[in-house]
Amino acid sequence: MSLLNRNVCRALMQGSYLVHAHKGVHTTAVKADKNQSSSTEGRIKCTLIPGDGVGPELVYSVQEVFKAANIPVDFESFFFSEVNPTLSAPLEDVVNSIARNKCCIKGILATPDFSHTGELQTLNMKLRNALDLYANVVHVKSLPNVKCRHHDVDCIIIREQTEGEYSALEHESVPGVVECLKIITAAKSERIAKFAFDYAIKMGRKKVTSVHKANIMKLGDGLFLRSCEEISKLYPRLQFEKMIVDNASMQFVSNPNQFDVVVTPNLYGNIVDNLASGLVGGAGVVAGASYSAECAVFEQGARHIFSGAVGKNIANPTAMLLCSANLLAHINLHPYSKMLKNAINKVLTDGKVRTKDLGGQSTTKDFTNAVIHCLHDH
Amino acid sequence: MAARIIRKIVPVSRSGAAQYSSGVRKVTLIPGHGIGPEITVAVQKIFEAAKVPIEWDEVDVTAVRGPDGKMGIPQKAIDSVNANKIGLKGPLMTPIGKGYRSLNLALRKEFDLYANVRPCKSMEGIKTLYENVDVVTVRENTEGEYSGIEHEIVDGVVQSIKLITEEASMRVAEFAFVFAKENNRKKVTAVHKANIMRMSDGLFLRCCRDVANKYRDIKFEERYLDTVCLNMVQDPALFDVLVMPNLYGDIMSDLCSGLVGGLGLTPSGNIGKNGALFESVHGTAPDIAGKDLANPTALLLSAIMMLRHLKLHEHADRIQGAVYAVLREGKHLTGDLGGTGKCSEYTNAIISKFN
Amino acid sequence: MAARLLSRFSARPELRIVVKPELRGVVNFSAAAPATLSDFDVQHKTPVVRKQHLVPKAHYGGRHAVTMLQGGGIGPECMGYVRDIFKYIGAPIDFEIVHIDPNVDNDEDVKYAITTIKRNGVCLKGNIETKSEAAYVTSRNVALRNELDMYAYVMHCKSFPGVDTRHRDIDIHIVRQNTEGEYAMLEHESVHGVIESMKVVTASNSERVARFAFEFAKKHGRKKVTTIHKANIMKLSDGLFLETSKRIAKEYPDIEHNDMIIDNCCMQLVAKPHQFDVMLMTNLYGSIVSNLVCGLMGGAGLHSGRNYGDHYAVFEPGTRNTGTAIAGKNIANPIAMINASVDMLEHLGHHFHADLIRKSVDKTINVDKIMTPDIGGTASSTDVVKAIIDNIDLYMKNKVSFH
Repeated sequence: MSLLNRNVCRALMQGSYLVHAHKGVHTTAVKADKNQSSSTEGRIKCTLIPGDGVGPELVYSVQEVFKAANIPVDFESFFFSEVNPTLSAPLEDVVNSIARNKCCIKGILATPDFSHTGELQTLNMKLRNALDLYANVVHVKSLPNVKCRHHDVDCIIIREQTEGEYSALEHESVPGVVECLKIITAAKSERIAKFAFDYAIKMGRKKVTSVHKANIMKLGDGLFLRSCEEISKLYPRLQFEKMIVDNASMQFVSNPNQFDVVVTPNLYGNIVDNLASGLVGGAGVVAGASYSAECAVFEQGARHIFSGAVGKNIANPTAMLLCSANLLAHINLHPYSKMLKNAINKVLTDGKVRTKDLGGQSTTKDFTNAVIHCLHDH
Repeated sequence: MAARIIRKIVPVSRSGAAQYSSGVRKVTLIPGHGIGPEITVAVQKIFEAAKVPIEWDEVDVTAVRGPDGKMGIPQKAIDSVNANKIGLKGPLMTPIGKGYRSLNLALRKEFDLYANVRPCKSMEGIKTLYENVDVVTVRENTEGEYSGIEHEIVDGVVQSIKLITEEASMRVAEFAFVFAKENNRKKVTAVHKANIMRMSDGLFLRCCRDVANKYRDIKFEERYLDTVCLNMVQDPALFDVLVMPNLYGDIMSDLCSGLVGGLGLTPSGNIGKNGALFESVHGTAPDIAGKDLANPTALLLSAIMMLRHLKLHEHADRIQGAVYAVLREGKHLTGDLGGTGKCSEYTNAIISKFN
Repeated sequence: MAARLLSRFSARPELRIVVKPELRGVVNFSAAAPATLSDFDVQHKTPVVRKQHLVPKAHYGGRHAVTMLQGGGIGPECMGYVRDIFKYIGAPIDFEIVHIDPNVDNDEDVKYAITTIKRNGVCLKGNIETKSEAAYVTSRNVALRNELDMYAYVMHCKSFPGVDTRHRDIDIHIVRQNTEGEYAMLEHESVHGVIESMKVVTASNSERVARFAFEFAKKHGRKKVTTIHKANIMKLSDGLFLETSKRIAKEYPDIEHNDMIIDNCCMQLVAKPHQFDVMLMTNLYGSIVSNLVCGLMGGAGLHSGRNYGDHYAVFEPGTRNTGTAIAGKNIANPIAMINASVDMLEHLGHHFHADLIRKSVDKTINVDKIMTPDIGGTASSTDVVKAIIDNIDLYMKNKVSFH
């Protein structure tokens, strides 16, 4: 009932987005009860986008685990895809669902190199822009018993993902010459910098490193860097550091332990995310999330669809399961989140069930079952 | 338009190469700043000992005030490189402050150095966490994100333009395949982000595909930038020659250097229409300058690259063998590689291997 | 193209509200835009004195970051109860806890606390002790208010039917100027044995707080604003305050306005408190009146206060006492701090959680009559909190439950 009320109110309010021209007011004519995690009768609704490639298999694994653990989350599933536009749910429906539920778990969307309709924006970008999912957080952490060259990597990479190189503003000025615009704005740079510092505070981190290329792109990246510096002044107890992107990538492969929280514009973030993911075991084990002011979308940290592995039951569901554990923590189901994380850790520590990417022979299903088995141990 | 077609037909000429396959070749030498002079001396000594038929034409590129009132490269240096068509350069330092153009950029522009090549190869004796790295990055050097076209449209909104042209993409792709062929490489990987930047990176990718069709014996593959990053740190052996636009190249080349032990061990070559410039890409290290502590390996390897560019393969192999042997023994390593040797000791050790 | 460009700037708050309604469908998916603005949003977007630079809000994925200053005395334990309750109902708040050492003479910690409030925008605070007697160490509470320019203090005094008091059904809002007046902290000894303390009243601050009071009355459907002053004696300073409020009152014809001298006001309050609705006053009088009214309705432990500036809001227990004497004895009344946290949730727009806690608190005191000794009960602090949580359970039927 309360849900109904709220949605009716919301629908009404959308028409009356009032402008408060009064001075010094703390009034708002618009008042409706909102901002609760959408719990009706104790169950929480969450949007689910299986994605392309191995996405559906991984999402199925998450659903199996949720079912087995009896987690009070109901999924609202949407088939959403750019490579298969005829079957895909309309963007508006997906956006509305996420805006309503305020949380979403999402597989990776494949992006073809060429759009069928000649559009420059990818579906992923459209979704991000529609929901204003500006901050992408990837927590890169060495997992137990996953063999890698580096140990004890533990850094958080925060990436602006609504502007920069991904502006989708491209044109061919004369034949054979293409211009691609990279847009950097002060407002969005400050917003992501603030996000990064606040996140560092929330997670009890010590240092924020801003990765940039301001020596070459003096205006664009310079603006980003200045915004970071400006915001860093509000955080006197956090260390702030700057690093040029090429040096940062070199430092990542040789000494990744020096990084704590990293904040970057769009493209560099993409590079650093993948680089760091590679250091701790690949795309199959790193969880990420995208945040707007209101919503959180949980997705894999390194976005690869593994089209080669589709249907072979060999993909590693660890990343997706970690995503779902983070989702549970976000919607205040901490005990379930802990239970799931412990189970994943236990399976990895035992090391008996390993998927192919971690050097084992087990299938996705085996791994899922092993996690489910460990859930009950606790 | 006509010019473009002509450029397309005429294969990229390895200008300056092979014109003097016999006889003494004149090479411009730019010692650079900081540790530059000492490491160039080391290289010169080694080359002399190895009896390489090269005559050095040493020039100073310390910025002087040009006729336009801006600080820039002295005309003498420019003339020298233009005449010799080939150069070897130590690290340069651009003074901070207004009115100074980056000397590296100025050189790059002066000689239209469109391709940057960096071979990164694991060497015995240098311990890193990655084994069997043998990657060559080829980077477009003149346009892309580093076009330098930026403006603030309204307050707080900056727009930078990434420029990709067919001409530049074609010639760097062409170079990558020629390089692969000449150096017996098996595969060329085009690194791009055309799923996001559909037109600009799309154009670059199309050019690579076109060129790849001409070199059927070399395998060609396309990879997303993020995938390459991910795979590179997991299994560097997956890659051979990488060709990419400016920014990606900048990042990937440093990343690959990181895999094999840092910039102090990575050679670099810049190939242009009007000449080729080989250089060490590390910093000037003013703190250890003049103390005989610097590591000349990067410059030496760059010089070896230069020899290969001049088709002096025999000499190149000989010196390279000596360098690898000294590194493998590990007795005379300099401080940055964890040894206690001096620059001169290291140099002498290499020379002693010739006999 | 225009729409495309606009959508690029839609993140800038000033621009977003300017976008014409008919364009909005194009610019923003309407569902993605916040359906309503919380008080926090409004405050963030419409300050009286526009900051040169808006610091982005600490609002991510539906969660707000809030500074928590535990304060001295019973502060830490009460904050603990608030966190228990928030955790239990899953309030989307991330507390950033800042400790202030009362024994240190320098203002390092206080400065840091102020910085955190500047970036989070909202703070929940206990009363901070200032142990140092040194003249140069200013009261930390005052420093906090002045530094953040929180010019208005609001306290809602509403009787709890379950608490036995002489007067019933009192419902008064006290609006107090919070940054100047007698608390200007300008004192000096001009000649030996003669100390001058300055009281500063400015037209701009008086106007701000008066406007605040009338807007507040309008928003909450109040009928009357009473200005409390001592303009018969302090003709210039309090006179200015009174004149300003009279002038502002003319802009609000629907709201009745009268004025009263402070001494008379105190008498009237204890005799006939029901005549008051919204009370507007300067700093020192506010301190007196708010404590007096609290006394009328059961003591220091029930009501919460709100400090508002143009950009920041700080929520605290109504009477600014640390309660050091009863700290750690499990008899402190947690209601005031819980009410402050409810105010904070409402300010941030989390009405669901706020209502839930408020209903449960009301039921615990008025119906179940589980109270601490200070308001005539026998229960311990933890009993009260437990009762509140049980009531929350009751209101969240079929809740998601695990402990």
